[in-house]
Amino acid sequence: MRVDLALFAHLSGFQPDGRGGRSSRPLELEEGATVGDVASLLGLPDEPRIVLLNGRHAEDSTALSEGDRLAIFPPVAGG
Amino acid sequence: MAAPGGPRERLTCERMPDPLDDVALRARLAAAHVALIGCGGLGSNAAAMLVRSGVGALTLIDFDVIEESNLNRQLFFRDQLGRPKVEALAETLLRIDPGVDLTLVRECMTGENLLATVVHADVVIEAVDRAEVKAMIADVMARDAGHVPFVTASGLAGFDSANHVVTERLGENFYLVGDCVSDVRHGLPLFASRVMVASAHQAHVAIRILLGHDEP
Repeated sequence: MRVDLALFAHLSGFQPDGRGGRSSRPLELEEGATVGDVASLLGLPDEPRIVLLNGRHAEDSTALSEGDRLAIFPPVAGG
Repeated sequence: MAAPGGPRERLTCERMPDPLDDVALRARLAAAHVALIGCGGLGSNAAAMLVRSGVGALTLIDFDVIEESNLNRQLFFRDQLGRPKVEALAETLLRIDPGVDLTLVRECMTGENLLATVVHADVVIEAVDRAEVKAMIADVMARDAGHVPFVTASGLAGFDSANHVVTERLGENFYLVGDCVSDVRHGLPLFASRVMVASAHQAHVAIRILLGHDEP
């Protein structure tokens, strides 16, 4: 299946095409893959991150479906 | 000061008639309620912009007191050092508009108390400084309050271009302000100018939401 993946901040360097940037792009996954599988597949660092699946909160265990929009960004300190 | 969570028409799910005249715009904002989680560089300045724009009610949330190091970017004054931020900010906001309806919450937000404190607002602005607290707040809002427009901020430290601070809509009710990169943990200073760019983005997207506009 194919999902639409956007990675923000330093995570954008983990996009498989290596081009970085915050624009979303398609990612091919096995059927039944979860959010956590994407993090493992891309080698995302183990640090706090905010995950939105189709604009709503998602856990690592959340299963993905064809056409899902997945956005992952690390919160950055300062305020 | 009003009791938190009073009955209030939810404003954000409806479309305003178009075009709006000035009276309708002001009435819309006067009936609106924005909750600010954090009253530091982002929250104190955004609060002032919202009051100056005519937003009628704010919930101000911050457990902290004013320190000298806050004065370089936060809307506080030397004669307020040591005072609770929510109280000092409320005094300043009431000097701008004596009619604004303020609810003060001097507590640290946790996964247990966050939702009950902010869920009745028309828009919630996250304006805390620590990354892990930002993550907790965003998770709770996106998981349990997806119907409430939420504006978070990430990446406003340092002296990189102000043009890199942007507003992005990541979900139907989830807005992200910042450059997503400039991390105060990496030794970057917080400049009033760039912090206020981010706080202005937060205040402005809140106003746009309240007036029924979609962020591109």
